[in-house]
Amino acid sequence: MGVIHGEEMVLNIGPQHPSTHGVLRLKVKTDGEVVSDIYPVIGYLHRSFEKHCENVTYEQVVPYTDRCDYIASMNNNLGYAVTVEELMGIEVPEKVEYIRIIVAEFNRIASHLLALGTYGLDVGAFTPFLYMFRDRERILDMFEMVCGARLLYNYIWVGGVSHDLPKGFVETAYQFLDYFEPQVTEYNNLLTYNKIFVERTADVGVLPPDVAINYGVTGPNLRASGVKWDIRKDEPYSIYDKFDFDVPVGQGELGTIGDCWDRYWVRMREIEESVKILRQALKGLPKDGDVHQAIPKKIRPPKGSIYKRTESPRGDLAYYITSDGKPKPYRLKMRSPAFTSLSVLNKISKGWMLSDVIAILGSLDIVLGEIDR
Amino acid sequence: MTRYFQNIWETITTLLTGFGITWVHMMKIKKNNVTLQYPEEKWPRPERNIGFNHDDYNVIRSRLTVDINDCIGCLKCMRACPVGCIHIDTVKADVRGEDIQEVGHVGITSNGSKKAMVVTRFDIDMTECCYCNLCTFPCPEECIFMTGGPNADRHHIDYEFSEYDRSDLIYRFAKKGTQEKMTEIKAPKEPKVKA
Repeated sequence: MGVIHGEEMVLNIGPQHPSTHGVLRLKVKTDGEVVSDIYPVIGYLHRSFEKHCENVTYEQVVPYTDRCDYIASMNNNLGYAVTVEELMGIEVPEKVEYIRIIVAEFNRIASHLLALGTYGLDVGAFTPFLYMFRDRERILDMFEMVCGARLLYNYIWVGGVSHDLPKGFVETAYQFLDYFEPQVTEYNNLLTYNKIFVERTADVGVLPPDVAINYGVTGPNLRASGVKWDIRKDEPYSIYDKFDFDVPVGQGELGTIGDCWDRYWVRMREIEESVKILRQALKGLPKDGDVHQAIPKKIRPPKGSIYKRTESPRGDLAYYITSDGKPKPYRLKMRSPAFTSLSVLNKISKGWMLSDVIAILGSLDIVLGEIDR
Repeated sequence: MTRYFQNIWETITTLLTGFGITWVHMMKIKKNNVTLQYPEEKWPRPERNIGFNHDDYNVIRSRLTVDINDCIGCLKCMRACPVGCIHIDTVKADVRGEDIQEVGHVGITSNGSKKAMVVTRFDIDMTECCYCNLCTFPCPEECIFMTGGPNADRHHIDYEFSEYDRSDLIYRFAKKGTQEKMTEIKAPKEPKVKA
């Protein structure tokens, strides 16, 4: 008995749709309910970040990097700061390095909590979303205490950070970690091992490792496919080589390696690893030191160019900066991890049902601010 | 067949585990309540017990404000702004560090520096402001700052400043009529030609 093919229909998802995590439009070609082709239309959030950077000084680029991946602004700031520092050859005080690691890892937890919570929302679980946002709120409160902002921090500058950690921060951070660690078990009971959730995600949207590498997918999406690749470990920047942590990879516990559940689970385990790093960093944080000491009066990098990558919660975030010796960058290019993650969507969601496409898209954890820039 | 019943069993048990957690939280909702009823209850409240006080903040990114009596018109904040939402015009004062009564210009700042410039216009367009806080750092007199937090003694916190008209969000800090009066003062005194 042959398969009967009906007339193909093109369906528009978005640009205003809660499941697309921003202003993304998907042109989905469907045969009945089976998806045969997806064409993502991007650019609704384009703000010409790179061209803008050519018209502002190096200090003023930092608030613009905030607005790229607005879920994890600290990591974006860190990537930019590390890149310019390497171009200029600035040595940063040890205290600044520790503060940077602390805020970056806190932001990684916050970002993953948002990713996992909204992923539950995508596949129909509302409660975990509220629980994870409740805990993310406490991290944002701590950031507000540090730099006054909750989402767009402009905290990590070239050569330093804008403010020292306020008094009482370390105690608050320890309190949060003590409170937060048992919560992961609660999330697991609530969502991770829930049969309905597992049925929706396990074995769905399998991303084989070779396809992931061919498409340039990085970060948790790549690690979920079983490839052990983490810039923090393999090409350490800042002081990540001082910390002891594991790189979780997908093992296909409940399905195939590289399915949606693995991508979810790798993020959950990365939260635990971030807690490990945070405990070590809070312990090693130097008591005294001036956070403004290494900030240059005038940022004028020597002529030349640099490409440096860092590990943001979404993957391999890299900046390419060309300097002509003036106070403004001659050219600034940002390699955004979510962009490459989205490009693989068409490949892995062919042949799945329409509702599975939402599950696959959610598991890729894209941020449209970063894709469109 | 066993698989079928096993699936049903697993669904029920994992669902009940989830419901159990929600139930436990519902029982202690009074203690764990995190939602604020916004207009009646305002953040920050000390009883929220996150572990820090209002004064411990480094800064609060609320509204920008300027203490115009301390402003020397150095334009550093204007140059630091990445979006260009600060507009400053200055006129050179006749005598450095002297008060000009007509426009209410104060000659010496609270830090003791003598002003060489009269600020005739100091506008901050809060519709364009991106709250990056970059303008407050270069200020030599610390006269531009974010309200509230550690600056609460200088200006109370103000984060509820929505308006019906966009032009109401352009904050004009220079003293009213400075521009006109300064042009009058500065204008070369020509002998009046009789008609």
